[in-house]
Amino acid sequence: MNIQRISAIFEKDIKDFMKNMMLLVLPVIPIVTALMFDGIGEDKLPLALSYVIVGGTFSTVTSSCIMTMMAEENEKKTLRGLIQSPASLLDIIVGKSLVTGLITLISLVVSLVIIGIEPFLNFRVFVGLILLFLFFLLLGIGIGLFSKSLAATSAYLMPVIFLFGFTPMLNAFGFAEDSMAIKITDMFPIMQAIEIHDTNSWLPMGILAVWIIGAGLFTYVCFRKSMTDD
Amino acid sequence: MENIIEVKGMQKVFGSNTAIKHVNFGINQGEIFGLLGPSGSGKTTTVKILTGELSQTTGDVKVLGIDSERFDTSDFKSKIGILSDNSSLYERLTVYDNLKLFCKLYRASLNQIDVILREVNLQDDRSKTVSKLSKGMKQRVLLAKALIHKPKLVFLDEPTSALDPANMAHIHRGLQKLNDAGTTIFLTTHNMEEATELCDRVAFLHNGELKELDSPAALRYKYSTHAFHVETFDGDQLVIENQPEKANQIKDLIANGQVKAMHTDNPTLGQIFLKVTGKELV
Repeated sequence: MNIQRISAIFEKDIKDFMKNMMLLVLPVIPIVTALMFDGIGEDKLPLALSYVIVGGTFSTVTSSCIMTMMAEENEKKTLRGLIQSPASLLDIIVGKSLVTGLITLISLVVSLVIIGIEPFLNFRVFVGLILLFLFFLLLGIGIGLFSKSLAATSAYLMPVIFLFGFTPMLNAFGFAEDSMAIKITDMFPIMQAIEIHDTNSWLPMGILAVWIIGAGLFTYVCFRKSMTDD
Repeated sequence: MENIIEVKGMQKVFGSNTAIKHVNFGINQGEIFGLLGPSGSGKTTTVKILTGELSQTTGDVKVLGIDSERFDTSDFKSKIGILSDNSSLYERLTVYDNLKLFCKLYRASLNQIDVILREVNLQDDRSKTVSKLSKGMKQRVLLAKALIHKPKLVFLDEPTSALDPANMAHIHRGLQKLNDAGTTIFLTTHNMEEATELCDRVAFLHNGELKELDSPAALRYKYSTHAFHVETFDGDQLVIENQPEKANQIKDLIANGQVKAMHTDNPTLGQIFLKVTGKELV
């Protein structure tokens, strides 16, 4: 890993980000949602709803932002320029993830401050949030590389937002507690992050790690495919 | 002279189509080598194999002494420059910011940006956003990007295709200067004048097969009929064979002051390509 090359990609991305209106509005979405949720009632927001904000931030900011950036690089062939340079695969992924990480951090902190940050001021919860970030980031990179065009990312983004970002909202569909759908979605990353609040077990973090490994493998395969025309 | 590129028995198969058919060639260090052929002849596929963007189906490929399996290393990538149909720029950024990124990725000095912008005649456009540049200007920025780290070997796939004659001449001078400084240049083009002017050696690629490989002068000599074409003041066009018994005929024409123009029959590279392959270079 080379810091100079990573910072060069970060510097380029931050300049590009500041000129891209589509990306600039993304971090505002969770903040506006948090303001709306905060205005619903006087009581403290239930944890599941707080995690709708967290999931919303990771899906609409983290995944969406990196997905758009990677798909644009892929579609406009600028990614090939980075690949043909001496920058390694890790330099490119880390460099490109820094801007997304920075805006996710800003958007998440502001949103959590609005809805009440206290439940999240805990080391285990903090680690859970980092694991969630990595999952959504890798998933976004993989889909961005997999997409043939920038336009196609919108189609892939919807399932990511609704399945992985808004998982706690699935209860609103009226599924029975012991239904298969609920049992499956209980294993989803956001639900495991909620589980971290309720238990001292390391199992939720282990399950989150498995999701990250899966997303990481998907990203690696997509990246290797983007490296050549074979 | 040391071979900087060595290709032995290279084949590339896409499904049922053999794009490159058992090609062999070597390129010397410090030369400008031109790969000529019409669209679809396999030029771009060859460049992509030599730069690691594609892998050959069979055969041995070595560039800068490095085997093709190791083309994805930083060491290899830092020694070559590429301008191909896969080259692109960040449209929302300025010319300077685009070049600055690649300067840093290749660990080149930022002072190099102004030097290279002068070489491609864009010194007054460094602050312009790429999206606002013309096609020819973008092509020159791409060329600057390929050369910014002073590579040992440069692959240029149709580098002057979008340029006007003045900028083409400017780029040719720049490439010649770069070559004089020791950079090996691998050029693909279907511009015959460009190949004749720039290349030390050229190869003809047709349907994935290498048909000829030699210097432009040697090829022109090889395919010449060696006859003299004489135009007289009477308007006659005479073709006189280069034979001892014809010497007096030429001598008499000159002695009688009849010769308006006289030149040898040297075909152009385009005419040679047509003769060798039966196909125009378009």
